[in-house]
Amino acid sequence: MTTNLPVTTGRQFGRRSWAEPWKIKMVEPLRITTTAERERALADAGYNTFLLRSEDVYIDLLTDSGTNAMSDRQWAGLMLGDEAYAGSRSFYEFERTIRDVYGYQHVLPTHQGRGAEHLISRVAIRPGQFVPGNMYFTTTRAHQELAGGIFEDVVIDAAHDPQDEHPFKGNVDITKLERLIAREGAGNIAYVSLAGTVNMAGGQPVSMACVRDLRALCDRYRIRLFLDATRMVENAFFIQERESGYADKTIAAILKEFCSYTDGAWMSAKKDSLANIGGWLALNDQELFEAARNLVVVFEGLHTYGGLAGRDMQAIAIGITESVQEDHIRARIGQVRYLADLLAAADVPLVKPIGGHAVFLDARRFYPHLSQEVFPAQTLAAELYLDSGVRGMERGVVSAGRDPATGENRHPRLELTRLAIPRRVYTQAHMDMVAEAVQAVHDQRHSAKGLAMTYEPHYLRFFQARFDRL
Amino acid sequence: MLANEEPFRTIIEPFRIHSVEPLRMTTRAERADALAAAGYNLFGLRAVDVLIDLLSDSGTGAMSAEQWAGIQRGNEAYAGAPSFYRFRDAVTNLFPFRHVLPTHQGRAAEKILFSVAAGPGRVIPNNTHFDTTRANIEFTGAQAIDLPVPEGLAPAIRHPFKGNMDVAALERLLAEQSDRVPLVMLTVTNNSGGGQPVSLANMRAIRAVCDKFGKALFLDACRFAENAWFIKTREAGYATVPVPDIVREMAALADGMTMSAKKDPLANIGGWLALNDDSLADQCRNVEILTEGFPTYGGLAGRDLEAIAQGLAEAVGEDYLRYRTRSVAYLGEALESAGVPVVVPFGGHAVFIDARALLSHLDPLHYPGQALACALYQEGGVRGCEIGTVMFGLHPDGSETPAALDLVRLAIPRRTYTQSHIDYVIEVVVRVAKKAGDIPGLRIVSQPRQLRHFTAQFVPLR
Repeated sequence: MTTNLPVTTGRQFGRRSWAEPWKIKMVEPLRITTTAERERALADAGYNTFLLRSEDVYIDLLTDSGTNAMSDRQWAGLMLGDEAYAGSRSFYEFERTIRDVYGYQHVLPTHQGRGAEHLISRVAIRPGQFVPGNMYFTTTRAHQELAGGIFEDVVIDAAHDPQDEHPFKGNVDITKLERLIAREGAGNIAYVSLAGTVNMAGGQPVSMACVRDLRALCDRYRIRLFLDATRMVENAFFIQERESGYADKTIAAILKEFCSYTDGAWMSAKKDSLANIGGWLALNDQELFEAARNLVVVFEGLHTYGGLAGRDMQAIAIGITESVQEDHIRARIGQVRYLADLLAAADVPLVKPIGGHAVFLDARRFYPHLSQEVFPAQTLAAELYLDSGVRGMERGVVSAGRDPATGENRHPRLELTRLAIPRRVYTQAHMDMVAEAVQAVHDQRHSAKGLAMTYEPHYLRFFQARFDRL
Repeated sequence: MLANEEPFRTIIEPFRIHSVEPLRMTTRAERADALAAAGYNLFGLRAVDVLIDLLSDSGTGAMSAEQWAGIQRGNEAYAGAPSFYRFRDAVTNLFPFRHVLPTHQGRAAEKILFSVAAGPGRVIPNNTHFDTTRANIEFTGAQAIDLPVPEGLAPAIRHPFKGNMDVAALERLLAEQSDRVPLVMLTVTNNSGGGQPVSLANMRAIRAVCDKFGKALFLDACRFAENAWFIKTREAGYATVPVPDIVREMAALADGMTMSAKKDPLANIGGWLALNDDSLADQCRNVEILTEGFPTYGGLAGRDLEAIAQGLAEAVGEDYLRYRTRSVAYLGEALESAGVPVVVPFGGHAVFIDARALLSHLDPLHYPGQALACALYQEGGVRGCEIGTVMFGLHPDGSETPAALDLVRLAIPRRTYTQSHIDYVIEVVVRVAKKAGDIPGLRIVSQPRQLRHFTAQFVPLR
């Protein structure tokens, strides 16, 4: 499908500006803190940025999940939400939009993405089965393991190298996947778990060629292919930009083509879809859908609301429509790159290429004198908060957790501090300020000594772990 | 209204309307088609085809202007949002438990609690378990046991606290198999038994038995404010005690609670699990993170935490509770005086029609409650909910027996419908009751293994 792409004025004239296709309609005040206040807040939080009170944070780049600014249309949708317990009008609009934009047959709302991960893992994994995926994600793998599945990383090797400039570092290594199938047998593969983009690798995309190859392979072995569609719109942007044959296709068309190669998807509407809450599971297989529908009512809510207020289904439907607009996604990724360019110019070590939703600081190269035993990425997140009230998140050895079989720490090659950018929330001046803060911490890098973990929760330890300074 | 003033008989809402939502009228033929398309399951109807929606009082209430202001003010930070702290403080003001874990709704709080505390071989007693509570207990392999007082099972007997638990039965259960019982639940008000309240005297007696056997007591507190209002108006010694104090007294007798904020707290979404035990709270938080969300948002938008905090303050307002219980009784009294068999006295959130008595020509396994609910929709576009053999008759081993009662619940969403809407409902019910003998029973043609009432498909028996 080739259409005339709607383009920004800037793009029409070949200019580089990524100016936003909106203006600000409602604001939320920020509080500026002193160094002494931040020292105290960070110590109270056990040097874990997750445990800070958000009032003590100036620029909150902890996550792009649910932190988006909704549009006036979405706010109007909140008022239009139908809160009927069963058969809400808002559900049917939600369902129709997902069918239209993502192209799947059956849709179940869930209160957020992990609700959908929980359902798909329960209905599609038999204990002992393998779940190959293009790098793990924390909550996804936790649900797969809880259902008795064994996660196997089949992402290309380049994904683990922060300096490799491969344009599609989220791709699956088909040979690795075939080797797993040969080793374990197709019947012992629950499904292929494909994420676009790959968060833990730095928001790296998957190419259309890759998903096409995967489809062919899965057809050959009769294995299901499910998509974590959380940031698939950003993934579609990278395909449009980088993959031959797609420059003239719309984001919407690329997204739909990509999804058409998969058997279903789970989604956190808190990312691409510009909502503050919500998620969904979509499946083409009727039988699997019915199994999931019988569970959604136990854990989430009746299948026409799935644990969401009617108003939020309405806001998500509108957000999905806005998310696939060319100007929106260009401005979105333009802002991420703007911050990355400032940091790269200051020689701050980053994961390359720059992904869709965040800038990832390479903590190994940032603090070459700190070993993974003293949590360099966690240290960097703490130092950054201390300097200027900027809150990022560790994505390294703490997030990777322990191997369920051996109980040993996993040591991922990537030791990163993520600065995730909420959609439509912060201005260019905010990004300038963040860049200055990172540079200031970089200038002081030699004095960092690392952290020791003093409390370690059982699941997903990065959320609640506590640390002390060494 | 001051206590020493002579009360007026007219129900007056302690609010005026700030925002409205249009309703759509349907024809009898349209409703017949919609009902058939939904497989005679009212959960399958599209809400736009329903005129007066009394399916549930859960999440269907009208929020106040102040709650909507809270929606605007909500802070959506992933961790440590100020909206969370406002929510937590509002909860602990009424329920001073040490740990408060927000969840996306009530069944998620149940899921977390029971996935930690229940499990194969365990037994969990309650006055009467609600459908999702039972499902979440049974899902872990444990057994859910109902121990209502005998009056609770007799729709026509008037008793001020028909929601009470049979304390002697609880004591027997614990004496026989204490080691299998991890905790005792108590549902206030007792929804499945007709929205009937539990007295503080009963709670104290349950507490004493729990103490004797060293068991924790958890409240399923969805309708705590309505329960507190019945205590104030019916239990000796509480007439002058402020409702928030009664709520705190209820909380002081328990070790924790599961909660759906979609009921008494006047919100459209949300819930929480609150408890005192530090190590149990730690385990629950681990599960919460996995299935709900980080513990300072628990799967809720920040704005909804704000709406709940504000709603909690409004829920214990005495003018509001007087209006709420009066308007439910208004419907009940009109039906009773027209000769429709209803559960008495009237509960806090709904009027329950005794469908087994009204449709006495039907075998309980032909689902008189479901049949009556379908007839009410067909007649006037009123959607109620079967609480009976469809909801509770199917057992985990696949066998089916009639439930203790076959009721149709007309649940009244909070602050949503006016007196003229209710007058219309009365007219519809009375008209259907006059031809009750002609209403056909139903047969199930497909059903899931759990919570079948949400998706089962039926056909009428002709």
